[in-house]
Amino acid sequence: MYHFGRGWARLLPYLLLLPGILFYLLIALGPSLATTVYSFTDVSGLPGVPVHWIGLNNYKEFLLLGQAAKDNYAIFGRTLIFCFFVTTIQFGLGLFVAMLVNQPLKGVNFFRTLYFMPVILGAVIQGLIWSLFLYPLGGPVAKILEFFGTRSEFFGGQPTEAFAWVIVVQIWANMGMTMVIFISGLQTIPSELYEAARIDGASGWQVFSKVTWPLLTPSVNTNLTLNIIGSLQAWQLFLVLLGYRNGTQVLGYTIFAQGFGQTSGSVTTSFRQGYAASASIVLFFIVLVIGMATQYILRRREERILG
Amino acid sequence: MRTSKIVLSVLFVLSILITACGAGTSATQAPAAGSEPVTLRVLVHQNPPMVDFMNTFNAKFQEKYPNITIDMAVVNANDLSTVTQTRLTANDVDVVDMFGFSNAAQPYMKNVDPPNWQALIQAGLLMDITDQPFLKNYDPSAIEDAGSFEGKVYAINLGRVSYSGVYYNKDMFAANNVKVPTTWAELVTACETFKAANIPCMTAGGKDGWPIFVGAYGLLGAEYPDQAGLVQGLWEGTVKWNDATSLDMWKKMQIYARDMMEEGASGVAADAAPGRFASGAVAMFPSGTWSAAAIETSQPAFQWGYIPFPGSDSADANKYLFGKYDQGWAVAAKTPNKDAAMLYLSEFSDPANYQAFVTAVGFIPTQPGAKLDTQIGQEVAPYLANFRVGYEQYWVAPKGTGQWASPFASFFKPFNEWDDAAKLADQAQADLQAGLDANK
Repeated sequence: MYHFGRGWARLLPYLLLLPGILFYLLIALGPSLATTVYSFTDVSGLPGVPVHWIGLNNYKEFLLLGQAAKDNYAIFGRTLIFCFFVTTIQFGLGLFVAMLVNQPLKGVNFFRTLYFMPVILGAVIQGLIWSLFLYPLGGPVAKILEFFGTRSEFFGGQPTEAFAWVIVVQIWANMGMTMVIFISGLQTIPSELYEAARIDGASGWQVFSKVTWPLLTPSVNTNLTLNIIGSLQAWQLFLVLLGYRNGTQVLGYTIFAQGFGQTSGSVTTSFRQGYAASASIVLFFIVLVIGMATQYILRRREERILG
Repeated sequence: MRTSKIVLSVLFVLSILITACGAGTSATQAPAAGSEPVTLRVLVHQNPPMVDFMNTFNAKFQEKYPNITIDMAVVNANDLSTVTQTRLTANDVDVVDMFGFSNAAQPYMKNVDPPNWQALIQAGLLMDITDQPFLKNYDPSAIEDAGSFEGKVYAINLGRVSYSGVYYNKDMFAANNVKVPTTWAELVTACETFKAANIPCMTAGGKDGWPIFVGAYGLLGAEYPDQAGLVQGLWEGTVKWNDATSLDMWKKMQIYARDMMEEGASGVAADAAPGRFASGAVAMFPSGTWSAAAIETSQPAFQWGYIPFPGSDSADANKYLFGKYDQGWAVAAKTPNKDAAMLYLSEFSDPANYQAFVTAVGFIPTQPGAKLDTQIGQEVAPYLANFRVGYEQYWVAPKGTGQWASPFASFFKPFNEWDDAAKLADQAQADLQAGLDANK
């Protein structure tokens, strides 16, 4: 039965949806479409500078031109590595911590707050904290390493090591959100199921694998999707912790660097927002493909488990 | 009843719109620089002695012109270009700190984009100040070289800096009986002596990346005294990053990064490095003339000297200083506070104020009447006749060039992954050649 009357009244739900749709088109779809159009131009981002339609030149340069294109593929590979490690570790750690702080223990709210706190700090503060923590000339971690007779340059050293530290900071900064989503999922699981399982003699692992894990499916899906997309788009911590260093860039930071005339001291490059837009579109398709594939797999799993 | 509700609603919406529009207008409307209050928005890059001077200057300026309030924002040098672009575009700034115009496209360069400053001018975001009377206070060549484009002046440049020198700790040299080096071999020996005495040889602000490159500038300059010629040679293929001359440079850069720089220098911020040197933690500190004021402020009684980085095995070839035009002032073309901005630049350009600025910051002056009469001024005076503008002020990479095609000592371990100078030289040339070939 249709609840909104007859005749013109049937349009009411659509009219009510219209402001929201227009708002979405304006703030979400509009910039995305504009970025797509800009990716075919040499726009600098400065008003008043003539903009020329240059077809696929930005894409050709990003994907095919010289050694820089090969470097871009290395950056793409590094982005996937970053995504893999951040997603898996953050997911696993978030679930583990969520289960710990979901116990009916005294003072558990303090630990929930403690683990969530990094999420509310901005990237600059997060970077500052870790720069001090990993200061190679007498910082706390350097002192510990010194005790064991070793040392490290941390963020300023070998690209692989510096990159690994950014993974650590990214996980530290966002694990709290993963934890909160898992806690909300855990709290929706009826306690009767746990009681029934225990009466039936289920072990701790069996309770987790047969009760908790299947019923956490919606939280698992949400967390995996958010972690994958968030890590593929990461760039702020790279800017704050490493700057533009060879062997450490990911796609998100490369886009920023190209679009806003990344500088090294006073050595300036050009504003190339058209080129950066083409890199953004490439990143968009990567996120789209990986995101949709993940969604497809997760939905099938959800249907299989929850029906 | 219903009609009156509709009318009231329409009036309400209109009143909000009018209020909003009115607020927008009043926010951007310019009071004249006479007696009406004006807030002048100034953007500068982080350089502690310069920021200290600007705070003092701003206070005096506000005292003299009580209707003008200076709202000065300070950003990291690496972010200056981005913040300048966004704030100029948003018409959210009046006076901006702008490095001397450089990296212009040359006739032999193919398919390169204009540098940022040129894009800003062509976008109509910088004010033409050609007719301003305070320009006559400056050296015409500095106006022409560092602040002009197509016959019009868009910036006044406030001074040149040298960045190919190295500070040394006089007491430490004397205590360890080390001679101030004039050749590369002497520098290597000096560092070995200090290391044997358990004293790290050098430090630099490795956390910001560029100080490692700047510190090794003497090595590039020693091999290629004609820096503009080097850039042209690289573009035209007459100079290669893996030829014998360049290979010698790479080998020395590796020694500089691996053996001379102290362990942990990668964590030292650029603005903390002068203080670390002045504290006596290391024997030498390769940096620009701008660091002198910070060293003196940090430890006023500290005894230091400044010499050109001895990158060559010939002492005569080490008597050059390489550098650039540093900070300058430009005005937003759309500023609603033009009169106040011009008053600010005029007051700054007053010879007495400019002299105080040069003394505080340590720039080599661009006003003919000013003198760098500080210690750093005396230290660089013998080399000023040999002052040359550096490579990175000319260099524009061909599109498609790979990431290693730059003469950066920071590519070597422990700052990055390379530990073989010959392999890095080949990679640098291959990366450059890929860009040159892509634009044929």
